[in-house]
Amino acid sequence: MSVERILVVDDEPQIQRFLKPALSAAGYDVREAMTGAEALKAAATMAPDVVILDLGLPDMDGKEVIANLRGWSQVPIIILSARDRESEKIAALDLGADDYIEKPFGIGELTARIRAALRHRVQMEGGQTQLSADGVAIDTIKRVVTKDGEPVRLTPKEYDLLVMLAHHAGRVVTHKTLLTSVWGVAHGEDLHYLRVFIGQLRGKIERDPADPKIIRTEPGVGYRFVGDEG
Amino acid sequence: MPESDRDAKSRPDPDALLALAAQDRRGKLTVFLGAAPGVGKTYAMLTRARRLKQDGVDIVIGLVETHGRSETAALIDGLEILPRRDVNHRGRVLPEFDLDAALARRPKIIVVDELAHSNPADSRHPKRYQDIEELIAAGIDVWTALNIQHLESLSDVVAQIAGVPVRERVPDTVLKRADEVLLVDLPPAELIERLKEGKVYLPDGAKRATDRFFRLGNLTALRELALRRTADRVDDQMVDYLKQNAIEGVWASGERLLVCIGSDPLSEKVVRTASRLAEGLNAPWIVVFIERADRESGDGEDVRRLDETFRLAEQLGAETRRIIGNDFVEEILKLARREHATQIVIGIRRQSFPMRLFRQSLPDALAERVSEVGIHLVTDRETVPVKRKSTGKRTLPPGTGRAVAIAAASVTASTAVGLLLGHFIVLPNISLLYLLAVLASATYAGHISAIAAALFSVLAYNFFFIKPTGTFTIAEPHEVFALVIFLVAAALAGSLASRVREQAKSARQRAAATQALYDFSRKLSGTAKADDVLWAAVTQMQSTLKRSSALLLPEDGDLQLKAAWPPDTELDVTDIMAARWAMDKKEPAGNGTGTLPNSPFHFRPLTSPHGVVGVCGFVQADKPLEINEERALAAILDQTAIAVDRARLSRESLDQAAKLEGERFRAALLSSISHDLRTPLATITGAVTSLRQLGDRMPPESRDDLLQSIEEEGGRLTRFVANLLDMTRIEAGTVNAKRDWVDVADVVRAAVDRARKYFPDREVETSIASDLPLMRGDSVLLGQVLFNLLDNANKYGGDEPISIYARTDGNDIVLSVTDLGKGIPPKDLEQVFEKFFRRGKADGRTPGTGLGLSIAKGFVEAMGGQIKAESPALRRRGTRISMRFPAAKAEISEKDRA
Repeated sequence: MSVERILVVDDEPQIQRFLKPALSAAGYDVREAMTGAEALKAAATMAPDVVILDLGLPDMDGKEVIANLRGWSQVPIIILSARDRESEKIAALDLGADDYIEKPFGIGELTARIRAALRHRVQMEGGQTQLSADGVAIDTIKRVVTKDGEPVRLTPKEYDLLVMLAHHAGRVVTHKTLLTSVWGVAHGEDLHYLRVFIGQLRGKIERDPADPKIIRTEPGVGYRFVGDEG
Repeated sequence: MPESDRDAKSRPDPDALLALAAQDRRGKLTVFLGAAPGVGKTYAMLTRARRLKQDGVDIVIGLVETHGRSETAALIDGLEILPRRDVNHRGRVLPEFDLDAALARRPKIIVVDELAHSNPADSRHPKRYQDIEELIAAGIDVWTALNIQHLESLSDVVAQIAGVPVRERVPDTVLKRADEVLLVDLPPAELIERLKEGKVYLPDGAKRATDRFFRLGNLTALRELALRRTADRVDDQMVDYLKQNAIEGVWASGERLLVCIGSDPLSEKVVRTASRLAEGLNAPWIVVFIERADRESGDGEDVRRLDETFRLAEQLGAETRRIIGNDFVEEILKLARREHATQIVIGIRRQSFPMRLFRQSLPDALAERVSEVGIHLVTDRETVPVKRKSTGKRTLPPGTGRAVAIAAASVTASTAVGLLLGHFIVLPNISLLYLLAVLASATYAGHISAIAAALFSVLAYNFFFIKPTGTFTIAEPHEVFALVIFLVAAALAGSLASRVREQAKSARQRAAATQALYDFSRKLSGTAKADDVLWAAVTQMQSTLKRSSALLLPEDGDLQLKAAWPPDTELDVTDIMAARWAMDKKEPAGNGTGTLPNSPFHFRPLTSPHGVVGVCGFVQADKPLEINEERALAAILDQTAIAVDRARLSRESLDQAAKLEGERFRAALLSSISHDLRTPLATITGAVTSLRQLGDRMPPESRDDLLQSIEEEGGRLTRFVANLLDMTRIEAGTVNAKRDWVDVADVVRAAVDRARKYFPDREVETSIASDLPLMRGDSVLLGQVLFNLLDNANKYGGDEPISIYARTDGNDIVLSVTDLGKGIPPKDLEQVFEKFFRRGKADGRTPGTGLGLSIAKGFVEAMGGQIKAESPALRRRGTRISMRFPAAKAEISEKDRA
């Protein structure tokens, strides 16, 4: 397998200065872009495997870059964002970004997100039908979920929710995405549905529902399925 | 003579100089005065205007009626003429003078003909002289023309001379304040000649009246009036000049007139006479009305007439007073002494002979008690009898029927008792029973009832008890005498009793009014908020005046309707303009005044010691207030003005306090930033430089320790910056807490996970009820609150574990974070949620920034929850911070459950 290419889009030289050596040391081929225009050009010419994008760019809104990229590319996008700007994060995720990480972050967190994104790309290509996490196995062809080999009885909605999360293993899925794909567009704002069903789901699949390992909460944004390779 | 006195004498009179200075800022008024129409005032005015125009003076024609005469039209040619304003008046379009256009044009001089003209109904001012006053106030010089007959103080004289009533009148003060009066004179014979030649314009309808007017005798008399007025003015100007230049002269008449009026028709004449007298003496004059303290002022007609007389007096330049007192003579003398009056003017009516016998007349009483004051009497001999407006016969006062009925009933009762008693005992003075009936009627129903009762008693007494009974004839002559005595006694007793009753009634009314006012002032003194003050004021006005009321206060440079009763009252453009006028000019405006009388509202400025604070208005609709209402209104307005002023001051002091608080916050913030940013930065800089320069000489564990301290301090900086941002959001009031569905357990877990990253060694125990309902709130804010509480517990919790509990309590969710550290002393417990409050260096660890708990409080309250601190929490140790939020029930339809 060739070395994966990562495009880092950030106008802060300090961030670039530590990301480039760190990611290179982690085994990736790193390219830099300081503006939105540069980023779009680089994405077209180098065909990166992952894009890391800061939403605050000097020439255009980071969300514009996402919308533009999604017009012709399915490359995974990880957003760099501040903790207190959930609405911005959610907007970016709904536009097609794959994941986010809050500044300041440790390099370990970032490489974990990159690995999850790359894995997803492989899943997309391979059309994965077997998913597993912490003893729970999902077979999307037979529509069967087992926990430590024992079958788990899920309602159709619980099953849809679990599969939706598992298909995005390692990455955050926003409330809105989950609600509209499981219950339909009319329920896009009914957050209490999710709160209740996630609770039920955790009760059935987690070893300790009070300390869930498979479905993690991303406060204010959504949920994250932590698969076995995460 | 002492030195200083002489100095004072030769120095210019400061009042005179002040008046001169006030004149300088205003425009100058030039009046072309004539004795009659046709003397050539307009011609004179225009000729002069042309001359000035040629000299390059900025002079424009505001309004000149040429009446189609080519002579005049030729004069206008070449002068700038302002456009007129088309006014719809009773279906006809009239080109009227456009005041606003004139004000906008702002020429040096403007020519506005016909000073005495009345404007159509929807104009800003009803009279042209008021338009002109506004122009002058705006600093524009005005030239205008006036016929002597239109002068207010002369109108009765002119009416007598010419036999034609004068409708359009101009107050004398207008002419008096004119800076220049030019007499345009034409001998009467020539004027009549011009009239015959058709050179004088006259409206068609007035032909017959003018025939009577333009007689040689009339014109000569009018000419004399005009000449005399002008001469008087010249004299005044001379005196003014002498005063301004401190030249000793003979001007000091030192006369002051005190003019006493009543509500009778004669008073108007008294005022006019006094005005001419004052003019002749060049003396200031005061018009006074003395109201009987024990009596409500007469009927509506009297009140209106009195108001009109007062208005007339003010227009003629008098000062006016209303005084309440019992003893007329005493009050007049008191006022005369206080005002240094030298002459008293009173009206005197011819009295009937018996009245003259019984009562000493006012002039006689006055003359008896004054020594150095002259008394002028104005008689009603030549006064034209005032036409009564009431049609047909005089109506009886209201309540007469009831009064007579009560009289009849009480007399009947007395008769019945008398007849009944007559069966058992002999009553020698049965008339006393009837006296009782008269007194009872007087007490319950007033003097009309008393008189009726007296008459009924005489009849009944005669009929039932005086022999021969059963008839109205009287046998014994001494019985007739007794009857007469009885009638007189009954009438006297009745009048006394009714007087007592009237006094009691008026005392009750006054007590009620005073009580209402007292309640109002107490209500006001209890409210510091401007809105409450305004509501109290409008409702009080409405209940006192029984009219819709409105209050307007200045806001953002404009007047805003702040309160009204009824609350849906709306003001249109005219009303608002009138209100603005009242505010700007500090005088009443709107209905019943000289400014925008078309508005149904009458506006008064609210004047406090700090100036005009607002305007209050009420629907007047051409029905002016009665005197007692006026008194009540004045009291309400005073109270309201002071209360509004106080509310404004208290708001300002609150703003000031908020500003101070803000400044304190900024100061604390600065010191916090300088300390809390510097410490981690110093650590990081120190550790990094050590590693770079000395790293290869260090053992690996030391290097690792330094690196770890960099990571920790970085984390601390991150939290501090986040806290600062959160605090700033709370301070700025921009925390928009969402009302999302929150799973508390989920938020607790996320917060604990985050805390573990920063202090992995600290043990955190969570205990969450499994059936915990959802709540409505903002999971990110709640997460931050929990994180701050954990962070705090970590700092002050010693080495013991931190515990988090979540359970339901009734309809609430209670969430608490408990540490087992030293706890908080009771005296500090109140303060822990305050900004920048720190609990000192606990256990040698780095102290907090003093922000965590106050942010927690700010966020919890933004989500509609409560937060409190308890200490000790457990086993006499530790601190528990607990929060309480209302639980929410999540409803999911069956269809969506599957």
